[in-house]
Amino acid sequence: MKTWLLILFPVYLTLLIFFAFWSKKQNKSSSDFILGGSPLGLFVGFMTVAATIFSTFTLMGLPDFFRLHGIGAWIFVGVSDGAMVFGILWFAFHLRKKVALKGFNGMGGLLKSCYGTSWAGYIYFAGIFLFLIPYVAIQIRGISIFLEAAFPAALPSWGWAILIVALMLFYSETGGLKAIIYADVLQGTILLIAVWIIAATCMKSFGSISDMFVQVERMEPRLLSTPGPQGLFSVQFLIATFVVIQFYPSTQPQIVIRIAIMKDLKAAQRMAVALGGFMLLIFIPTIAIGLYGAVHYSDLSTADFLVQALLFDQLGWVAAVTIIGLIAAALSTSDSQIFALGTELRSLLMHRQKHVMLLTRLAIAFFAIASLVFSIVSSDQLVLLARVSFAGTALLGPMVMLAILTTGPPGREILVATAIAIVLFTMSLAGSIPEFIMGLRLDLLLMLTLSLVGVVSRWFR
Amino acid sequence: MNPSGRRKRMVWRVLCGLFVVLSVITFTPWVIPAHTIEPRLWGVPYTLWTGFIIATIFVFMTYLGALFFPGSEKEDPS
Repeated sequence: MKTWLLILFPVYLTLLIFFAFWSKKQNKSSSDFILGGSPLGLFVGFMTVAATIFSTFTLMGLPDFFRLHGIGAWIFVGVSDGAMVFGILWFAFHLRKKVALKGFNGMGGLLKSCYGTSWAGYIYFAGIFLFLIPYVAIQIRGISIFLEAAFPAALPSWGWAILIVALMLFYSETGGLKAIIYADVLQGTILLIAVWIIAATCMKSFGSISDMFVQVERMEPRLLSTPGPQGLFSVQFLIATFVVIQFYPSTQPQIVIRIAIMKDLKAAQRMAVALGGFMLLIFIPTIAIGLYGAVHYSDLSTADFLVQALLFDQLGWVAAVTIIGLIAAALSTSDSQIFALGTELRSLLMHRQKHVMLLTRLAIAFFAIASLVFSIVSSDQLVLLARVSFAGTALLGPMVMLAILTTGPPGREILVATAIAIVLFTMSLAGSIPEFIMGLRLDLLLMLTLSLVGVVSRWFR
Repeated sequence: MNPSGRRKRMVWRVLCGLFVVLSVITFTPWVIPAHTIEPRLWGVPYTLWTGFIIATIFVFMTYLGALFFPGSEKEDPS
């Protein structure tokens, strides 16, 4: 494996460096740096969105989720994401219509312009800052604990985390969004290849699909139905996750930016179709990897299971591609989110161009360091942390929807309600208020309340 | 509105209706019956194969939706 890694990793690194400097040369203004310069076509648009969405969470978190909680994880991600891509058709149309009227520098700036108050932008930014930093952190956490387990004598996990963040900062700050987008294309391809090769090896050990489920049933039959061995996949949990994921494209700035800068509506909608196909292609193999873990490594920790299944049970060159695929997956999601946070901050600033660019670059570095610190102190429950992040940003959904669907300025009551919801959700995460109110999950209750406020607010205007 | 526009709008509305119906059905015991593995399809447990079918239908609906979306290119900003 090490020999293959010594051959393949420099090739990957060279390509990243090439993209960074090539993009730097192409960027003529701060707008080029932040928004990529030219509109995205179908293929590049699709690959960058896919690489941004499907991350370490996919290659490490999902197999571990299937291993521990069973096939209900498919409803959690497969069905919810399938529905999400359908929603993109509708969202892309309304977003782009609004962008045509108001212009686009970022979602925060668009909200500020729609609501006619800076508070809309500030609340949005506070929400994404609070809930995106942990998501970026788990990408870094995921890959660093994996590398530590794979190379115990080399570096501690925090050392790997620093290296990953440094690499991410280098090419983001050098080439801007264009470099990130082209790196995403490369990273999405590596991720897809790696996950299928690993799954094929796992399937080979079972013999056939039906044998796989027979062996899993012998080990733990509850893995083959909901709510799973630990009772995680209750109906309410699955509904809340479904709702939260539907708001993902409209509330996550890195996705909104990409939909807004695509060439035209047709390209944005075809991207949604391609994304749906890619989603099926990339999630299906994670089931085989996860169930392989359930049969062979049910007692191991997350990191040890992943190292065994993804590296030690694979051929040398496959293990090397996997390591690069994992680094690529972590980078492609983290850089996009960190950069999107910088873009959002820029869209709220009202300074001269030179100062704005400097502030944006500093902000990107600050967000990356904040993620690094959080990654060192966060837990290994990657998927559950990701879900908390999605639930937090989803609280911004009704506010965003109201802004893009209302012709005039929407009612400001939704801003107040959203701010309160963010505070309540954060308090529940800190354990200050209960996670369930009258038997209903707090995140679901808050989403329902905000949606109701949004509907009533629109109705009376 | 011309006949083609009317047809697109109708197909789109049917797809939206189907989206709501499928979303609701997913969270009923028809798809996620607690502690139930049977009936299997080619060895695949019940919730998994029904979940596959639903996810695939959603993706196919997205394909149809992209073809029949009633918002025209003229309304598109770019």
